[in-house]
Amino acid sequence: MDTAIELKNVSKSFGKFRAVDDLSFRVPRGTIFGLLGPNGAGKTTTIRMTMNITAQDSGEINVLGHPMDRVTQNRIGYLPEERGLYRKMKVLDHLYFLAAIKEVSRETARARIEEWLDKMELRPWLNKKVDELSKGMQQKLQFIATIVHDPEVLILDEVFSGLDPINTALVKDYLSAFRAKGKTIVFSTHVLEQAEKLCDEICLMAKSKKILEGNLKELKREHAEGQIRISLRAGPAEVAALPGVSASRAVNGAYVISLTPGTDRQRFLRAALDKYEVNSFSDREPELEEIYLAAVQKAGLAETRIIE
Amino acid sequence: MSWKKIFAVVRREYTERIRTKAFWIATLIIPFLFIGLFIVQIAVARRSGGERKLAVVDRTGRLYAPLAAELTRPQAERPPQGQSDPGNPEAGGPRRQTVHWVVEQRPVIGDLEKTKEILRKEVLAKKINAYLILDPTMLAKDQVEYYSTAVSEWITQNQLERAINHVRLREKIAAHGLPPEVGNELDRRIDLRAFKVTDAGTAEEKGAGIIAALVFFFLMYSTFFMYGYQVMRGVIEEKSNRIVEIVIASVRPTELMLGKILGIGLVGLTQYLAWSFIAMNLSLPGIASLLAGSDMAPKIPISMLGYFILFFFFGYFLYASIYTAIAAPFNTDQEAQQLAMIPMAMIVSSVAVYPAVMNNPSGGLAVFLSLFPFTAPLMMFLRTALGRVPAWQILLSVSILAATTVALAWFAGRVYRVGILMYGKKPTIPEILRWVRYSPGKAVPAPAARQAS
Repeated sequence: MDTAIELKNVSKSFGKFRAVDDLSFRVPRGTIFGLLGPNGAGKTTTIRMTMNITAQDSGEINVLGHPMDRVTQNRIGYLPEERGLYRKMKVLDHLYFLAAIKEVSRETARARIEEWLDKMELRPWLNKKVDELSKGMQQKLQFIATIVHDPEVLILDEVFSGLDPINTALVKDYLSAFRAKGKTIVFSTHVLEQAEKLCDEICLMAKSKKILEGNLKELKREHAEGQIRISLRAGPAEVAALPGVSASRAVNGAYVISLTPGTDRQRFLRAALDKYEVNSFSDREPELEEIYLAAVQKAGLAETRIIE
Repeated sequence: MSWKKIFAVVRREYTERIRTKAFWIATLIIPFLFIGLFIVQIAVARRSGGERKLAVVDRTGRLYAPLAAELTRPQAERPPQGQSDPGNPEAGGPRRQTVHWVVEQRPVIGDLEKTKEILRKEVLAKKINAYLILDPTMLAKDQVEYYSTAVSEWITQNQLERAINHVRLREKIAAHGLPPEVGNELDRRIDLRAFKVTDAGTAEEKGAGIIAALVFFFLMYSTFFMYGYQVMRGVIEEKSNRIVEIVIASVRPTELMLGKILGIGLVGLTQYLAWSFIAMNLSLPGIASLLAGSDMAPKIPISMLGYFILFFFFGYFLYASIYTAIAAPFNTDQEAQQLAMIPMAMIVSSVAVYPAVMNNPSGGLAVFLSLFPFTAPLMMFLRTALGRVPAWQILLSVSILAATTVALAWFAGRVYRVGILMYGKKPTIPEILRWVRYSPGKAVPAPAARQAS
């Protein structure tokens, strides 16, 4: 079984508002899966339905091979976008409690908790109240709380929102480390750059619908068609006049050029070399945002923008 | 239902609350406040048991001497009044605190008003504690005037009144030419011994039993009140600090609700235990015997304890459910406050009418209130403690109560499930009622049910 999570034709409405519309996707095991899209695209609702916090109106959701049940629930770590803590509880007791509701005994949890408190440099705060921790420390604690029961699948909603750069880097490192252990990670974000570096698989959502799904590398290859990146001494108009150029734009002192279908790249390069001094030439991988915008356009949802 | 998870929630609710200063302050301060109150009363009684300087203005010219003799006579020599029955409040407690009277006679100086004025100043200057006016015209109207800075010292006044009556009685007897023994005879009082008729036979009611019942009654009342409110605050707190979504990713909302209600209920029971421990060791026998004028510690019948547990359980669950349903839709205590008035009013109404039920435990009002589920826990408990209640009424009351509790717990669970994830705008009541009808979605199947996969 190589599927961690699978959604089949899932829909959910709140009153007249359709929050998720006929959504299907598959999260392969052992990957980092990004659920991406602007705010209001339906990511949180999708995640809540996956966690069985909200029930879908129709469709099927399988987690680790079957609809979510108590045993499965115990094998999942979940961090919602709005992360809370019991402010009056002591750090250790808090972690014990969150382990206990995953049916993990204190004895089992203890070693793991200590290991993580060490890693996160929170050990001195073990017996302090959550209240006394700084915001950054509370974020670390929330992250530990999510993994205290050693879950097989991590589901994180807008995991990077509100994190300072240090904690962002920390969380990214740990997510990569988890994948290396064969665990599956699903996270949502509206910041595509964050997803770009982390994700193996993505599902793009806009306006309650899926607009694209797949392996990020493959998607990039598919969308790379004809695009090249060239750095040369020439003005934009001169570049646009080169043979075989269908579109060009300047990006960071270089040009990103789309060639008309059927144009041979070597011939194009030769033509450029004839006229101008060329410093670099490469195939260009499209950025996730471009893929997203192209997919949005294709789906006829052009007005949807990524909102930072 | 995962009892393991419910237990984890119960444990958290319980230990976190038990650890708060507020809990220990309430647990320790409340009984000590009560004890303190009684100590003050006893101290006042003791003080009145000390020396009391009384000035008497005797305008009859013949009552002072016998009154002074009566007041200053050692206690043991006084004629027995009624039987020396410890169960009889008239004969027991209060008189054990002996007041040592120092009596002096004062002439009328000038007119009576002027005399009163002089004495008033003496009382204020603490030269005397009190003064008494024995006036023939007032006596004809069966009245004697007593002036003191403390006119609520019932032990002192009770003694004084008794002495005056005694003297007057003697005088009347002498006036009718009867032998003084008749006075002793007439001084005796009838002791009304109350027997409670129960299924088990008849047992003498000592008064302490009723006091115990009332103590339980008010304990139950305050628990519904305080701990129901705590449930409400707990729900709102979890919601407003956003932990609830993390928790219900592991625990079903019904499990969380149940764990919370149970945990907080246990905190209440712990407080009872602590109180009764303190009470048993320090004060309850003393308080009860003082109140009942009895030397006996109150004997709490097993049946009373049984009914207490039964009605406490259902009543607490009933009100905790209501408070849960009220809390779930809101984000702050303030928003929920308005609706919280409803259960509050229900609980308070029981206390408002309890004297009527005590007066007539089998009357129409009492029967109605003990069947109506929102007043039944308190009222039926009180009735069972006061006298025999027909078995069918108890059964009917418990059945209605249990059914209502289950229905309300279900209703609260529905509202809770939806409400805890609702943020932002304060929902209206029609909206909240719509949540109840929301389809619960697919129930989480039990692990055993999915063997096939």
